[in-house]
Amino acid sequence: MGDKPVWEQTGSSFIQHYYQLFDNDRTQPGASYIDATCLTWEGQQFQGKAATVEKLSSLLFQKIQDSITAQDHQPRPDSCIISMVVDQFKADEDPVMGFHQMLPLKNINDAWVCTNDMFRLALHNFADLLPPLPDTIHTPPDAPNIIHK
Amino acid sequence: MENIDQVNTLQRKARCRGIYRRRQSSWSQQATSQQQQDRESLRSDAHVDIQARYAPYALPSCHRRGNFQEQDETPVNKQKPPERRMERNRQDETLGSWFKIRVPFGIKYDEKWLLNLIHKQCSVPFTPVEFHYEKMEAQFFVQNANIASALKNVNGKIYNEANERISIFVDPCDAPHSVLKELRSEKVEQIKLPVKERYDASQQSRDIQGVRSDPGMATAAIVEQLLALDLSDKKPYQLHGLSNTMPNASNTKNWNLSNTEVKSAGEMDKGERLEPEGMCAERNPLCTTFPDKSTNISSILELFPKLLTLDDQETSPQAKCGIEACKRLPTCKGSYFGSDEVKSQVLQFLTLYYLIHDYGDRQVLAGAYHEEACFSLTIPFHPEDPAPSSLCEYFKDSRNMKKLKDPHLRVQLLKHTKRVIVHTLCGLPKTQHDLSSFVVDIWFQTETMFCFSVSGVFKEVEGSCQGCVRAFTRTFITTLTRYCSLCIMNDELFVRDANPSETQSVFCIPVPTPTSSSMHTLSQQQQDIMQASSTPSEMNL
Repeated sequence: MGDKPVWEQTGSSFIQHYYQLFDNDRTQPGASYIDATCLTWEGQQFQGKAATVEKLSSLLFQKIQDSITAQDHQPRPDSCIISMVVDQFKADEDPVMGFHQMLPLKNINDAWVCTNDMFRLALHNFADLLPPLPDTIHTPPDAPNIIHK
Repeated sequence: MENIDQVNTLQRKARCRGIYRRRQSSWSQQATSQQQQDRESLRSDAHVDIQARYAPYALPSCHRRGNFQEQDETPVNKQKPPERRMERNRQDETLGSWFKIRVPFGIKYDEKWLLNLIHKQCSVPFTPVEFHYEKMEAQFFVQNANIASALKNVNGKIYNEANERISIFVDPCDAPHSVLKELRSEKVEQIKLPVKERYDASQQSRDIQGVRSDPGMATAAIVEQLLALDLSDKKPYQLHGLSNTMPNASNTKNWNLSNTEVKSAGEMDKGERLEPEGMCAERNPLCTTFPDKSTNISSILELFPKLLTLDDQETSPQAKCGIEACKRLPTCKGSYFGSDEVKSQVLQFLTLYYLIHDYGDRQVLAGAYHEEACFSLTIPFHPEDPAPSSLCEYFKDSRNMKKLKDPHLRVQLLKHTKRVIVHTLCGLPKTQHDLSSFVVDIWFQTETMFCFSVSGVFKEVEGSCQGCVRAFTRTFITTLTRYCSLCIMNDELFVRDANPSETQSVFCIPVPTPTSSSMHTLSQQQQDIMQASSTPSEMNL
């Protein structure tokens, strides 16, 4: 990881940690949001940390498994990072679905937080094209504690 | 690989430079011509809206003459026969020295009565061409600077029955549409002739072989000759059948649509692939009729039903995905724009961007990027699928962190600076995006920054995967330039194969190709997106 630019290290680590938290308890990633965070979820916008967490909490599935199929990170001119993730997930017993998520990250008080969150289902479903999800929930290797508490 | 890329880049740049050089030389020709002097003498007093005439991406009429002049410089054995040169000279005369005469509030006056009144006062006889009423004005054209000058002198010297002074304004302009139309059909015949000659001259086997091996050659020749179509001040009905006249105009690069009367999108020539690279639609009545830009966009976007009908409407994911019982999944909503103003700006940007991306020279997109912009491309990673993906054309540029472990390659594949980005874009397959499939999310905005994502489908239109349908999501982080246009700072593209059932539905909605006459693009916006200058970025990579 020492050879990676800082935005790649940060972005990769953040994504790993974010999804680990989400898979365990989807309210937990709320800790990475700030009061100004806006969630754009399938064409609806939820402004603020509380509204964002509430929306995530309102999702009806109990268990989720996911597997990242693509991620990319770019530095932004304002010293922020834009992280893009394409993921396939299985919620409870539903068929596998894909989604696309954009997570811009910003360093506030030496901690990286998520200033926005954009989620879109991959409606052009590629579930048939992807290998089946692993049986175990995705558990990334230990990631640095970079989430602002 | 790099050398070939460099050569290709140099060739493309040379081509672009050639285009710009021709444009610059044509402007200098215009500046020195007698015609220009005539116009200058009238401009000081005439009510001239120079801004409306300025069409940076429409070649001025003298460029058409330039084209003919260039043909004169061709080797003798390829020169046109004398009768064709005479025809061309006539066309030159017909195209030049036209003036529009405007009578404010002339709509109150009967045509015959008004023209008689002007005739009586005018020191020289004249023949009005295309008399018509436009908004509140009566307008007609005359050809000849002397006549125009004489008509200018009539200003303020004629009165209506209520003894109110009638004003007359004189503006230099290009040839009226009826004249152009007549010339256009002649032009097409002239252009078709070389192609016909090729086919008829069976003894010229090399020419025939050339056409057979490159069927696009004849088309390209026709298109290049029709490069500068000036449709300014045209009635919409005159645009009907334009595509029939020029069946191969799909690569026509410059359209000047300024002042084209577009009463509604429905009046325009739908369903024809007339895709301009550069457009100027300033003072298009479609723009000025409505009170604000967003309404303009709404009118145009009626042509893109998904972008509108999905707004604030719920569409179940089952209908989209064909998956049953996804009750726990969120229902899909359409695009999220936040505000009409932002929607207008972003949609204009996306429409123009993809017009150029799909139908123009992608080199032109350099103007849309900041000097220090970043771009990266990602395709899905299937660890258990070693077979070559149909996305192989994108594989070499894919920067999927999931797969790519080499740190040096990762850095290389993050394209930095607009020069490198545009070079990369030019190397990607040629595409046709289905704008009707676009779903846009504006997920962050400030006064100076717009961040948005667009998802949709496109089709590859050439190469080994021609016809393949892809799904994509692209995220733009843009800043507002001083011209209030969007300048791309970050561009992240994800491409995947579309589901087979979605492949069948792509491009199925019968909307006209999002181009040309049904489009509203401010010339200023277009100019900005092409020439978005940037101050050196302070970003430190």
